Amino acid sequence: MLRYFVKRLVLLIPTLLGALFLTFSLIYLLPGDPASTMLGPRATPELIEALQVRLGLDKPVWVSFGKYAWGIITRGDFGESVWSYQPVSSLLLQALPYTIILAASSMIIAIIIGMVLGILASAHEGSVLDSIITGFSLIATSIPSFVAACFLLLFFAIFLKLFPVMGAGEKGNILSQLHHLILPSLSLAISWIGYIAYLLRSTMLEVFGSDYIVTAKSFGIPMRCIAYKYALKNAIKPVVALVGLGLGSLFGGAVFVEVIFNRPGLGKTIADAVFARNIPVVQGGILLASFLYVLSNLVADLSYAYFDPRIQYE
Amino acid sequence: MVDNKKGNKHFLQILNSFKKKKHQQLKNIVRIFSIILKDRKGILGVTIIGIILCCAIFSPWIAPCDPYEQEIANRFAAPSLKHLLGTDNLGRDILSRIIYGARIAMTVSIGGVSVAVVVGVLLGTIAGYNAGRVIDNGILWIVDVIRAFPQIILILVLVAVLGPSTLNMIMVLALTAMPRYTRVARAETLSIKEEEYIFAAKSLGAKNKRIILKHIIPNILPPIIILAGVDMAVMIMIEAGLSFLGLGVRPPTASWGIILRYGYRYIRLSPWMIIWSSIAIAMAMLGYSLFAESLRIALNPKDSIEKQAGV
Repeated sequence: MLRYFVKRLVLLIPTLLGALFLTFSLIYLLPGDPASTMLGPRATPELIEALQVRLGLDKPVWVSFGKYAWGIITRGDFGESVWSYQPVSSLLLQALPYTIILAASSMIIAIIIGMVLGILASAHEGSVLDSIITGFSLIATSIPSFVAACFLLLFFAIFLKLFPVMGAGEKGNILSQLHHLILPSLSLAISWIGYIAYLLRSTMLEVFGSDYIVTAKSFGIPMRCIAYKYALKNAIKPVVALVGLGLGSLFGGAVFVEVIFNRPGLGKTIADAVFARNIPVVQGGILLASFLYVLSNLVADLSYAYFDPRIQYE
Repeated sequence: MVDNKKGNKHFLQILNSFKKKKHQQLKNIVRIFSIILKDRKGILGVTIIGIILCCAIFSPWIAPCDPYEQEIANRFAAPSLKHLLGTDNLGRDILSRIIYGARIAMTVSIGGVSVAVVVGVLLGTIAGYNAGRVIDNGILWIVDVIRAFPQIILILVLVAVLGPSTLNMIMVLALTAMPRYTRVARAETLSIKEEEYIFAAKSLGAKNKRIILKHIIPNILPPIIILAGVDMAVMIMIEAGLSFLGLGVRPPTASWGIILRYGYRYIRLSPWMIIWSSIAIAMAMLGYSLFAESLRIALNPKDSIEKQAGV
């Protein structure tokens, strides 16, 4: 297991280097002269020149790429914001906890509700409850996070006034922070509730048909016990894989949710930087997002292997 | 010489049987559609896609009003007989804008998926056919680098940097969706290139290009088609999301994401923009997901669940 893990880590190095290069080249993809595009039409030539020096645009591409990569690898230095001169790394580190809390809480919500719905549907296969849950989960998978966010905002925050409209709550006040967390995490969770419920229902039904469940039934073990103790163990594997894949894509969905609820976070930082053409922050943000994404995919693979020992580590 | 001819004959027979198979594939498509249309989900999916396609193609004839005509005195109107779904922040008819919005959604999703499929499948088959060589490793590396970013964030940043336009959006969507097709095409090619008919074609002197285009690609299409169905839904979602953030198509153009954007901006004044555009987006995605799901069952009844977890 450890060898497999180390091997996977080593194989990630060329990928991450490529990602680093793609991120670095973003600044050269800007139409026209990067520095003057970033500063806008009213910038003076002196300002443009100063920014060119700061961004390393005055040097050959390979030299400044080397400098950029070296700074990140050795010191975690992503450069500084074009406007506020703050180091990008500290901006990102301030934002990151909010996004992690958001992603984790929505995944927890999705797992709990999705599993309950999936088990309920499979236990009552063919009933009205089953078709309601299946229908709901199919529709839920087709609701993007930003649509869910707008809807929840409209009904629960504007009409019913149950939840706050924006922000992440007062610092240090956990109750207020939780209150501000419910709608955003629910809107990120909705499509994953659908995925998990739908997938778990079909895998549970498949497991229910297998020989060892029939044997357990013939021993007179109550169905509830069979479902939780024996069937769930096997039915949950594809769900684990799905959740692992989901964790990464939650970072993407978080962009919309954070913008809509005006919540600080990695996604909001990237979106704001995109609109302000603050390229160093954009670069740092997507590098961090990609790093977390790659890492969560790796953990997902490993946990899948852990849950299913039949998988061979190649 | 005689032996050689005999051998050729044998290979020709194999090739001919392959051609018959190809003919069968056409029949298979008809069969697959008949399976889909027997499934309730499949019927619903095909119907929804059909309605949206009709809206996109015939929008000038279906839409009751001009989607750009403003009635400033009648802003934020609730649904009425004159404006079935109400009016938006500039007094434009929401129903007409939603019907016209189908055009952008369809253009971007069909364009993005087609480019992604063509490029992805070509790269994947080339990589699989030359497995283990430099070109294979190079293609895999490119694919891995693109896959190292969360799709939505990469799209957001690339579109913002390149400048928002429909063409840029299609290209960026295609670029970020391509890796999935490349990986599937490569894996399928690896298993198919050991088949007898490929050897037969090779020994008859067929060029690599011909083998890839005529013999490999037609046979790896089923999983690719399923993926494309799923991706249509994803691309409709991302187009709407980008337009929602103001990075997609430019404002007066009608797009579901833009309607939602102004619905969000004027959330306290009128709920109708949010409600209708959300329904349009969710219905379109639902249509494609249902279609893809029943396609998956029709093409591959047994391991539909496993694949779902693996994609």
